[in-house]
Amino acid sequence: MLVKKQKYKFQILWSMRQWPLSYVNWRLTTAYQEGWKFAVKHPIIFIKDLWNFLDWCQKIDDKR
Amino acid sequence: MIEISNIKFNSPIIAASGTFGYGDEVESLVDLEKLGCVITKSITLKEKIGNPHPRIIESSAGMLNAIGLSNVGVENFCKKKLSSLNNIKTNFLISIAGTKIEDYVKIIERIEQSSSNHIGYEVNISCPNVKKGGLVFGVSHEMTEQLTIAIRKCTKKLVIMKLSPNVTCIEDIAMAAENGGADAVSAINTLVGLGIDAKTRKMKLHNIYGGLSGPAIKPIALANVHKIFKSIKIPIIGLGGIQSVDDIVEFFLAGAHLVQIGTLNYRDPSTGVRLALELEKYCLEKKLSSIHDIKGLVEYR
Repeated sequence: MLVKKQKYKFQILWSMRQWPLSYVNWRLTTAYQEGWKFAVKHPIIFIKDLWNFLDWCQKIDDKR
Repeated sequence: MIEISNIKFNSPIIAASGTFGYGDEVESLVDLEKLGCVITKSITLKEKIGNPHPRIIESSAGMLNAIGLSNVGVENFCKKKLSSLNNIKTNFLISIAGTKIEDYVKIIERIEQSSSNHIGYEVNISCPNVKKGGLVFGVSHEMTEQLTIAIRKCTKKLVIMKLSPNVTCIEDIAMAAENGGADAVSAINTLVGLGIDAKTRKMKLHNIYGGLSGPAIKPIALANVHKIFKSIKIPIIGLGGIQSVDDIVEFFLAGAHLVQIGTLNYRDPSTGVRLALELEKYCLEKKLSSIHDIKGLVEYR
């Protein structure tokens, strides 16, 4: 039986290092009205959102 | 090579609107030539900042979003985005959204005044996350037909109507789009959903309701694509929860002409390219000249 090994959150985060800044900026603008400024002003909310996103990535990977 | 109204697509896979930026942001990350087309974020007449946070939340096998059509507006889009989009290495469609017919017409007129290589428009008549507009057209076959006729008069480029699953009879809306002169329809947009936090007893989204997308909606998307396939002659672009080659095959068997990758682009923007390469392998293995060979060929029990 094929057993898929789930990626750790830091591995998913590390894979995002290739994302161009313009794309990261678009993602932040999509998530927040103020874009990256929101993430700077509200770091705890941003980290919580990022954690939930990484958790979601792991779940989506499991289903692929 | 797959075509819609004489426009050729390199690949049957398209990057869905709202999941791939305006299209040029990922150019250095993704080999866009492997995609049939990129669809921009929906453009409205005026710039919109969208709904307050939280506006995207993760859910089981998908995500709920109530972004609220956040975008730069048609003027800024034409001045700041079109020139770089004109240089991308694949087709691009411009997604447009509005609250009344005149909005859509003005957006197209403004874009057509600019120098642009876009192949057409995907008309968002089905966004469930704005207080007014979009969905009003998407749930009425009369309004869908009127809007399609008005848009058809403004442009010779492709007109693709994006349909909502939040209706009783999607076939009626698809037929209205066909009668109005659309070149194709996209199906489906997101389903209305709600998220509640059991611990805090609060709504998860600031907007209360959001649009559910991702693998959770795939069976609904397949059902709608198949219903539309049996009702109209123009091509259907299938979308909703695609995450593997098997999913793509299912959409083509149900009657799709092309497919879009949406939510999975949030996981990894190179998903579409990966699937395009895997799909080529699948066709070789199954001795198909193209995935198009199996379009609508699902067998009944």
